[in-house]
Amino acid sequence: MTTDKANPAVGSILVVGGGISGLTTTLEAAEVGYEVYVVEKNPNLGGRVSQLNQYFPKLCPPTCGLEINYRRIKDNPKIKVMTLTEVEKVEGEPGNYEVTLKLTPRFVNEKCTACGECAKACSGEIDNEFNFGMDKTKAAYLPNDMAFPMRYVLSADISAEDGKKCEEACKYGAIDLSMEAKTMTINVGAVVWATGWKPYDATKIDNLGFGQHKNIVTNMMLERLAATNGPTKGQIVRPSDGKAPATIAFAQCAGSRDENHLPYCSYICCMASLKHATYLRAQYPDAKITIYYIDLRAPGQKYEKFYKKLKEDENVFFVKGKVAEVSEEANGNIGVVAEDAVSGEKSTQSVDMLVLATGMEPSLKTDKPSADLNYNEDGFVVNDFSKGGLFAAGCANKPADVVTSNQNATGMALKAIQTLVRR
Amino acid sequence: MSNQYLVEPCLDFVEQVASLGGDSVKKCYQCATCTVACTIAPDNSPFPRKEMIATSWGLKDRVLGSADIWMCHECGDCSELCPRGAQPADVLSAARSAAITEYATPKFLGKMVNDAKMLPLFLGIPAAWFALMAFITMTMGESMEKLFKGFGMHWHHHTDAPIASADFVSSWLVDVTFVPLLNLSILIFLIGLIKFVKDIHANAVLEGKTDKTDFNLVQYLVSVVKAIPTIMLHKKFNECGENKSRALAHQMVLFGFIGCFIVTAIFFVVLYIGGVAGPYDQINPVKILANIAGVGIVVGSFLMIKDRLAKSEPSSFKDWALLVLVFGLGATGMLTQGVRLLGYIDGLVGIAQVVSYFFYYIHLILIFCLFAYLPFSKMAHIVYRVAALGYAEYANRK
Repeated sequence: MTTDKANPAVGSILVVGGGISGLTTTLEAAEVGYEVYVVEKNPNLGGRVSQLNQYFPKLCPPTCGLEINYRRIKDNPKIKVMTLTEVEKVEGEPGNYEVTLKLTPRFVNEKCTACGECAKACSGEIDNEFNFGMDKTKAAYLPNDMAFPMRYVLSADISAEDGKKCEEACKYGAIDLSMEAKTMTINVGAVVWATGWKPYDATKIDNLGFGQHKNIVTNMMLERLAATNGPTKGQIVRPSDGKAPATIAFAQCAGSRDENHLPYCSYICCMASLKHATYLRAQYPDAKITIYYIDLRAPGQKYEKFYKKLKEDENVFFVKGKVAEVSEEANGNIGVVAEDAVSGEKSTQSVDMLVLATGMEPSLKTDKPSADLNYNEDGFVVNDFSKGGLFAAGCANKPADVVTSNQNATGMALKAIQTLVRR
Repeated sequence: MSNQYLVEPCLDFVEQVASLGGDSVKKCYQCATCTVACTIAPDNSPFPRKEMIATSWGLKDRVLGSADIWMCHECGDCSELCPRGAQPADVLSAARSAAITEYATPKFLGKMVNDAKMLPLFLGIPAAWFALMAFITMTMGESMEKLFKGFGMHWHHHTDAPIASADFVSSWLVDVTFVPLLNLSILIFLIGLIKFVKDIHANAVLEGKTDKTDFNLVQYLVSVVKAIPTIMLHKKFNECGENKSRALAHQMVLFGFIGCFIVTAIFFVVLYIGGVAGPYDQINPVKILANIAGVGIVVGSFLMIKDRLAKSEPSSFKDWALLVLVFGLGATGMLTQGVRLLGYIDGLVGIAQVVSYFFYYIHLILIFCLFAYLPFSKMAHIVYRVAALGYAEYANRK
């Protein structure tokens, strides 16, 4: 293709989303010398990985991995991080885009030392989104204990009175109640969308009883329960009475591979449940774990090995048959109904706790910015490399684990660079 | 899984089920949501998951010879929850239809009855027949009367009514058509039933669905009788979550048919033994029963048609053929009577007679279809379902 690109390449790249994929694209591009803006709609970077207890492939806690990335960002003057920022509009063409950003006020400026005095002074509480609403946090809060930037934030819902109290409590003058929402534009040559995913809303799966019965949780909730910085300080207990579960069932494909919900395989949930089985086995050596599945998908050699190891575990049971009905028993237990397709028996198992292995929905499915992007019918971005300029990485592009997301994000950094240097 | 056997797929069977409205079977990925969704499937070897895989593998005997496909009342709970849009309810319905064809003798007739292209022929036969019968009745009355007198009987049955259907097609000719026809159908059913019951027992033993390995006919027949109240009250039908209204509509039609059967039997006996001909007075208890039954059939089948029209997936020929037949039977019966009654009004006799005869003519054609095609059409479910539900009772399959 002989091209005559008259447009002068603008030298910077915009990365939308500061999760593991966005961080990877940002660093890969910045470390070869390109200027990168990374915008994140939450008050901190880290994305879904920061909510996990441990993550594949090495079952590290998220601090390991995220912290080194944060360090690299801090050390790199080419990177500009903007939190509480969303992309409203992208106009222009490859090599020359004007991007409109929407900034939500944090009410806390860069003078914040994360001393926590504002939170102490604040009396109002809000649902803790980081823990999927399983506990409360003050309306002046630190998003999590390894937040980057390590800076507090005041909720938009904070009362005027609490705002005043926070301002008075802060001896560094970091509280700025006059901050307002604003929009700004930046010029970039390429945009990489690393907007990630959200857990599928399990309340939509009527027959699996989430939201109706307390002791049914989602897999991401279990991550928070298992994490030491979670609502139970790492104790996996059932929500209704705080009891240590002796029997736990996992319902695989909760909403995934289901035309009534998400028609595709979410890729991560099988390995997530196998990983959760290891959390439970470590914490409760006598607990009995049953995993109800259609097909177990452990892609690649490493995951296959992981699965094989669990299959040998005498306290982990695998039942081929999807959970399609649940009920709540008087003691809070959950009756799980499934047909074992191997034996051809339909039965109800009473468990202390049921974990729904819910899948992922691309964030862009519901929040589409005004930009020239192609989506498939499920809301994932289809990359058009011949057009170039705008690329999706990680779970904005397809359901993927961290390893695959990072490989893909590295590739998209190169695609973005190619857009800038193409003449 | 304990016993191994060589799978011998019958591809024609897969195609047959697909053509009968079960084309979604290939979408199934065996997650077993359907078996859990089904409120009437037993815990031991539940349906319809195993029928889904057996069908897509072309294991014809496993499906058609299974009583389980007749335990399904097609509420659609399974299809509703199916993550793949595989519509197990429709597949089982198609399998039942295939089973009817399989057990009916001769088989080619079964295939033809369910083929929309053959419809003109199958309507044409009774149309021509009753045209001939009407011709005989209306032109050869005198000579028939003489002929009958020779045997000490009457061709005409006396009535005071201004219009009587028997003046259009003689009761003798109607009965000489239908009595042998119904008996032939019953004979065909019996042949089919013997094989059917043998097969479902063998299948139940093979799949471990019964506690009885030897078959005892007397005990089985007792079980069939025991199952009758459940069937009459539509207990299983009502257990199906999705559509209680469908059960009520079906019950109206079933009771309507039973009512009409009783009325016809009484009429038959009274006519040939008592020598009293119809039409009966409107206040005659038999007439009242007939009218209630007729209304039941019309309203019930109308509700079922409405229900079917509301379905997102188009229904197949066999489904529509039966519903239209049932509705047509009820409607033409009621119309024949209604228009006939107009004959009591002065000056309307002439026109009312023509119109009433026309409806009666259609009515006769439809009754012919009902009786002649009974063992081959979807209507045969009345026999196979009763036999299968009786077997479930016998086999302790709950």
